[in-house]
Amino acid sequence: MTDDQGQTLRLEIDSDLANTTLIAMAVRGLCAMTALSPVEVNRVELCVVEIVNNAIEHAYGHEKGHKVEVAAHLAQSALTLTVSDWGKAMVKGKLESASMPVDLDDPALWLDSGRGLPIVQNLMDSVSYHRDGDKNSFVMLKHINS
Amino acid sequence: MAFEAKSEAGYTIVSMDETRLDASISEPFRLYLFDQIDSGCDQVIIDLASVRFMDSSGLGVLVSALKKMAGQGALKLAAPQPAVEDLFNLTSMDKLFTITPTVAKAIEG
Repeated sequence: MTDDQGQTLRLEIDSDLANTTLIAMAVRGLCAMTALSPVEVNRVELCVVEIVNNAIEHAYGHEKGHKVEVAAHLAQSALTLTVSDWGKAMVKGKLESASMPVDLDDPALWLDSGRGLPIVQNLMDSVSYHRDGDKNSFVMLKHINS
Repeated sequence: MAFEAKSEAGYTIVSMDETRLDASISEPFRLYLFDQIDSGCDQVIIDLASVRFMDSSGLGVLVSALKKMAGQGALKLAAPQPAVEDLFNLTSMDKLFTITPTVAKAIEG
């Protein structure tokens, strides 16, 4: 599908963690069409995988048989990735409070989970989350410097 | 998925026949690592040479293994590829782990 401000690719997988690779490879392919550097492409891949993981693990509670949709909108100056699910919504305020503190001296504070959102917030130029009816969407934008 | 452990120079070297250490295999990998630690391996090198991509779930497994060792022995990471190294830097986990460019360097000390 195209419009005058760019092109949009829609991808859909079943809510199985094994399927995230399909999304990752497709997004890498899309990124290859842009001026994003190899490091930036790796980071975009990481971000989309993290948010698809979140949808499968938290919105659907690891249950297979549900839809996860990724819409990738490529415009001249930005790549926008929207990951949508129709499961349980993210707890309000979770996105705003995401952080990954590191205290080298206190192993009790070494998190073995919960880094996904802060990583995405750190790497993307903007992120937002909204619920429209029963559809949850996590939107990530990465500027492209050509 | 295939994980493998071998002994060399007093170390248990864990490697994997996987290019992606992500949420789809993080739990089996965690169980494998924990089995190694429970069976008495306390000098562990994880060879990441084959891993092109790692997400926060894969990273979490490595952190949980480090915590499980509770300061007894050593857990080193060897040969991280650029995207994996970037993840460690981004999350400051490069400060938590001993990371070497090769397994041989990890063995050297």
